[in-house]
Amino acid sequence: MATDFWASSQYKRWIVDRATLQQARADDLQYVDDPEYFTYFTIFFANVITKLGKKLNFRQRVIATAIVFFRRFYIKNAYCETDPFIVIAACCYVAGKAEESPMHIKNVVAEARLFFSQQPFGVKSFPSDNSKLAEMEFYLVGDLECDLTVFHPYRTLTALCKKESASESTAEAGEVGAEVDDGPRYWGTGEGRLELSDDALQIAWSIINDTYRSDLCLLYPPHLLAITALYLTLVLHAPTRDLVLQKSSSNTSNDAHANPLRRSSRQASNASMESKKPQDIVGFFAGLNVSMSLVATIAQEIISLYSAWERHREDGDASDASTARGAFQGVGSPYSSTTTTARGSLKRTLSESQSASHSQVGTPAEGTDEPRRMDGVGVVTPLMLIQLLTRMRENRLSDLAHATGRPVVVDKRLERTQAAG
Amino acid sequence: MLDDWSHTLFQTDPMRFYRAKRDAAHRTVASKYNILGFISSGTYGRVYKAQSVESESVMYAIKKFKPDKEGDVVTYTGISQSAIREIALNREISHENVVALKEVILEDKSIYMVFDYAEHDFLQVIHHYSQTLRIQVQSQVLKSLVYQLLNGLVYLHSAHILHRDLKPANILITASGTVKIGDLGLARLIHKPLQPLFAGDKVVVTIWYRAPELLMGAKHYNKAIDCWAVGCVFAELASLRPIFKGEEAKLDSKKNVPFQKDQLLKIFEVLGTPDEKDWPGVYDMPEYQNMKRLDAYWCQSRIRSQQGHDLLRQLFAYGPDKRLTAKAALGHRWFQEDPRPTRNVFQHVPAYQIPPQRRITQDDAPSMMGVPAPTQPHTQPQGPTVHGHGQGHHLSQQSKPGSTTSFASVSAGAGAIQGYTTVQGGPSRKKARLG
Repeated sequence: MATDFWASSQYKRWIVDRATLQQARADDLQYVDDPEYFTYFTIFFANVITKLGKKLNFRQRVIATAIVFFRRFYIKNAYCETDPFIVIAACCYVAGKAEESPMHIKNVVAEARLFFSQQPFGVKSFPSDNSKLAEMEFYLVGDLECDLTVFHPYRTLTALCKKESASESTAEAGEVGAEVDDGPRYWGTGEGRLELSDDALQIAWSIINDTYRSDLCLLYPPHLLAITALYLTLVLHAPTRDLVLQKSSSNTSNDAHANPLRRSSRQASNASMESKKPQDIVGFFAGLNVSMSLVATIAQEIISLYSAWERHREDGDASDASTARGAFQGVGSPYSSTTTTARGSLKRTLSESQSASHSQVGTPAEGTDEPRRMDGVGVVTPLMLIQLLTRMRENRLSDLAHATGRPVVVDKRLERTQAAG
Repeated sequence: MLDDWSHTLFQTDPMRFYRAKRDAAHRTVASKYNILGFISSGTYGRVYKAQSVESESVMYAIKKFKPDKEGDVVTYTGISQSAIREIALNREISHENVVALKEVILEDKSIYMVFDYAEHDFLQVIHHYSQTLRIQVQSQVLKSLVYQLLNGLVYLHSAHILHRDLKPANILITASGTVKIGDLGLARLIHKPLQPLFAGDKVVVTIWYRAPELLMGAKHYNKAIDCWAVGCVFAELASLRPIFKGEEAKLDSKKNVPFQKDQLLKIFEVLGTPDEKDWPGVYDMPEYQNMKRLDAYWCQSRIRSQQGHDLLRQLFAYGPDKRLTAKAALGHRWFQEDPRPTRNVFQHVPAYQIPPQRRITQDDAPSMMGVPAPTQPHTQPQGPTVHGHGQGHHLSQQSKPGSTTSFASVSAGAGAIQGYTTVQGGPSRKKARLG
């Protein structure tokens, strides 16, 4: 199982197409006038899960699993009919167990309750009763169809790459653990491993972290996300990019057309043995035997995620070092520092538009029923999203409660209660 | 815009509509299955034999996890790690020699796991040959049982799953003679674990089947522990009694894992006391000082190095890294010699020698059976140990009439699961009921 992605529940049941994702938001769309808000919800909730996960001392893989559970849950359910915060807590609780890093339910309830009571969430109703979270867990596991084993791109990344400084492994942000023989790869045909600098590997790792801010984990198999992250790293990380360029120019001069088709990863790994020679990175990618046009498509989606993300501003966000999106500020200009700190120019953009955004935000009390139309320059804040979410849920509740003759599944007792009250 | 009622609901029970929707779409266990009878129980819950409502000839074993109780009211307390594991692993795997999970139904605060039904299990076979037939297991049957067991184990190991509770009661056989490894309640994925294996479960594997490295306090262990257990099961099938039948030392009040002196002695009596040559690294094992105090045995392995015995000898290698892997064991020349293993393990067994059908009884749990059950005639006392690892399966005790249900299949992992819950500070356990 752990090696056979193609036999996994994830491949068989949980890789969906865009139409399915669109359909999943159909109910929500009634209460939102611009579907683009869903992109921001997707970013926002991933951030919330990441933050709660960190409070629970979860490793990155546990957090990623929790986010995947959340995404899968909302394939089947609407934001407006559920309470995403209890769903988030349940996702974290189940992910801890599914990844063999269990956290006592009491701790999850306590941390979630405290965290969600703070700004910007201001959730006052998070239950203090363990059984409420346990009940949600029950429904969640049901909606997940008991498929609790999740494949992540991190594994492919570590299988594809070795670090230049392979001696020490603790510095890696990656998951440490017993080195297990992976056996043959479950995709492609490539052999050997790409040798990357720590910086470059960290960027690739961060890009994978970033993909969880989107629906990509529902759309593509994890190994393609890993390969795309690697591909973007080569483009983004100047020293690595230079290596690629250097190699391809030396190719044309030295062994040009000598044997272009057989330029394989075996050669690449041979090259890396003699440490001075640059690796044949292009050849390595070619040897992977995956659809490069699909990788290019995913790369486009990641880039569009970053452009949406730029407008999504969170206070705590600036200190989050596990993201690579800042790197995109450096694209096209000579760029050498590690990506995670290259946020200066990004910040400026954000602060300029921040004042504008404040005027946009209406409180639920005074605001109109429909959220304001987004105009392409505004910044989206968590507060805005939470207010929008609250409006959506209140409106939906109101519609459901007052529905007469509408084909909505309603507990009969509700109507009786209503009649009595 | 919200009236008070809606607003209150929004504040107090925001998931109400969601639950109503889900509950309305739910198909109950009772609507899909007829419960025919009760098979066995343990701390995790109870196992029932059931038939599909749609096609009555298809049988299932339904494992119902017991909801934890706080007082008299059943509440949601969170799904146990063991149940999550068993569900998560079973949803991914599919192999001829591993019991298949058909579906999981979450209903009324309980979890129901619906498995394909298996008529027999290894414990029952051992009992049947030793008590009823009073003959050895025919070599072809023996070879087929071990072969298919290894075949299933190779699959689990290739998927990076450690079973961690292989023992005769957990290895099932269908009516058509196919071996099925069951009970993944203690199993776990060992692919790049985020936490060391011992962090989750301090005690794994029922004592008689527990590998020496576990007995010696190993913090890191691997697939070799399952291979040791296969060796124990193999030997037990061959001799019709447990090969290393030690007494389990109990956990102390602080739940420290004790030194399992008796179990190690039982192993040394047969295989000799290991030294650094047999087991590189044995001097560094946490329990080595304790081991040194034991009487040394020099018996040059009672197991003769011939044919199947050679396989057994290699499965009983002290050093985990020297031990045969499941895959290598499957390729052992014993399996290439005549008689060759058969797909139906009972292929050439005369009908009257085939073990009887699993006995089922009425259950006293009204929720499942709907019939008040008679009082259980033979309630076996709890095993000699605090967590009863397999101790309930003394063959002598099972020769009592009407006790065949102790051969419970899917469930009989009770012992080890109990060990697990004990360590986890779970609810006090209820002994398996033997009808």
